[in-house]
Amino acid sequence: MPHLDRRAFLKVTAAAAALALPGLASRRALAAREKELNILCWEGYNSAEVLDPFRSAQGATVKAESLTNDPTMINRLRAGETNVWDLINVNNPWAREVMHPEGLIKPLDRARFEPYFEKMLPAFKPPYKWAMSEDGSELLGMAQRFGPYSFVVNTDKVSREMAEDQGWDLWNDRKNDGRYGVQESDDWNVFNLCLISGFDPFVPHTDDQVAKYTETARQVFKGAKLVGDLATMNQSLVAGEIDYYLTGGTYSASPARFDGHPEIRGVTPRSGPMPGGKGGVSWIEITSTVANPQLSPLATQFLEYVQDPEVAHVVAFAEGTFNPVAQMANPKCFELFTKEELDAIQWDSLEEEMARSVEYDIVPDYEKLHDIMTAAKREATGG
Amino acid sequence: MVAAAERSAQPAAATPARPRSSLGFRYSLPVLLLLAVGFIAPLVAVIAFSFVEPRSFDLWSEPTLANYRTIFEQTYYRSFLWSLAFAALTVVVLAVICYPVAYGLARVFGRWSNLVTLLFVLPLFISENVRLYGWVLFLIKGGVLLGGVKALTGIELTSILFTPPMIVFGMVYVYLPFMLFPMTLGLSMVPREVTEAAFDLGASRAQVFREVELPLAMPGIIIGALLTFVLGVGAIVEAKVLGGQSVIPITHDIEIAFTYAQNWPLGAALSVLLMLVVGVLVLIVLKRFDLDRILGRR
Repeated sequence: MPHLDRRAFLKVTAAAAALALPGLASRRALAAREKELNILCWEGYNSAEVLDPFRSAQGATVKAESLTNDPTMINRLRAGETNVWDLINVNNPWAREVMHPEGLIKPLDRARFEPYFEKMLPAFKPPYKWAMSEDGSELLGMAQRFGPYSFVVNTDKVSREMAEDQGWDLWNDRKNDGRYGVQESDDWNVFNLCLISGFDPFVPHTDDQVAKYTETARQVFKGAKLVGDLATMNQSLVAGEIDYYLTGGTYSASPARFDGHPEIRGVTPRSGPMPGGKGGVSWIEITSTVANPQLSPLATQFLEYVQDPEVAHVVAFAEGTFNPVAQMANPKCFELFTKEELDAIQWDSLEEEMARSVEYDIVPDYEKLHDIMTAAKREATGG
Repeated sequence: MVAAAERSAQPAAATPARPRSSLGFRYSLPVLLLLAVGFIAPLVAVIAFSFVEPRSFDLWSEPTLANYRTIFEQTYYRSFLWSLAFAALTVVVLAVICYPVAYGLARVFGRWSNLVTLLFVLPLFISENVRLYGWVLFLIKGGVLLGGVKALTGIELTSILFTPPMIVFGMVYVYLPFMLFPMTLGLSMVPREVTEAAFDLGASRAQVFREVELPLAMPGIIIGALLTFVLGVGAIVEAKVLGGQSVIPITHDIEIAFTYAQNWPLGAALSVLLMLVVGVLVLIVLKRFDLDRILGRR
């Protein structure tokens, strides 16, 4: 037996400790994350009504941060916060077109999650395009809230039929200057300025189209009575300061409707310059698991939890804004909605409005068009 | 280090001022560290970001002036001018409104001045956003004011909401205490004997105001003006809520760059320029009015 002096003993134990430590540390980190879940989302998923039952059932610490635009959330992941968040909830194109190719999200187990799509509204039947990777092989997230999102009118001032017929031309008629507002929702306003200009937002644009867009942006902001958040828009519609606003739809009109103002209504144009002659745009949220090296096991459990008919109803009517959910196909979920709630989310026209809408997509020259819009807004000021 | 400390300790016995200053330095270390981490580091990050390639997030790339070029090529000067003009106008309006009130608080109201002070301080306990939205509900068409007028007289007036003058109104309303209290302090520093002596020597009321009170109260007025000006240049909610974005101040442009445009470097460059403009203006004022001198310290 070789003689083991104090120095050699120290060396060996130090080496053993060095080998064991990372394992220990990672096990501790994993153990720590078993009861922790961080969600980056649009408002609603961060509400106590949605999170508290999950917190108490799991005995977990759930942190949810709500932001109101997709690029900001995605840039948080790009900036290195993939090791902070477990779930990200954004609009439909980002998972498949951006986050998956950039390695920011992790695919889900198809066998475990695809059956949920079977129970959703017919449009979501698997394989559901926006939940799948571009090659169609991987499931990238779960669908829940959705809705048409074009513009909102006060039907006491402009009838629904007239608004649907005129569509985006409401903003091309200079006689309407001073009658409308613009909701501060910049990415959507870029889509709408393209549609008012008469072309599809979701394709690359020619120089002539960009010139036309620039002119439209100037006119629209010059003629706007106000630009503001959705609460200000609804307040101004109800008070009669304005008669309609862009961008808006079920999501933004629902709080006013639920508050006893059925005259405030999201409208989808009957026709427009997009494929199939469509004039509206719709959104569908996709919630994905983040490519977190230590993803909380609660992330996938939460995705299952919100599929429950009762929780889905709570998500639809969580604080802030109210929205239809794909789970309404399930009678157990649907029967939880009262008549007032169905009226608030315009259930009567939901199907036809979705049929008249093209699903939200990424604008190839968004940065250029957004810069033009920001400049137009600035130059229209002071009037 | 130890050697240096010993060396510095040597003459310390002879001159007692030295150790006290080094002791002071050591005591101030926690605050200095906090300042370095909490104030200087973010500032350096913002300055560094302003030289990064537009729409990128990589601090360690080749530095570029592209963001500054964009600002000077486009119409951002308008937003700068709006912000500076609104802030300057707010200062002027506040100076005119606050002077009589401050005079009253310092000289006239006596035991009531505590109550008046309280009335001006209380709104500060409510969030600025809530107060401004309150004004929207008051002034909106069909709201408290116009709805009330219509119900009582049948006359339908046009609302003045969502116009540039409403932005100035909002700023004056929000920043009033920041002008009023320094001004009151300034006015209470004017010795009564001096004004009495001026009257005794035959000065008119206007002369006493112009030649005695105003110069002696100047430190308070200048501090109030600087405070409201700097706060006013950074204002954003007033233009958004009461102004309905009828004007885009520079702070709003910065916010757009950091959010929807996801162009952090451009936002950083705008912030740096704003800091420079405000810094230079404040320095000019401080050079013109040497606070130490008028406070009688020099």
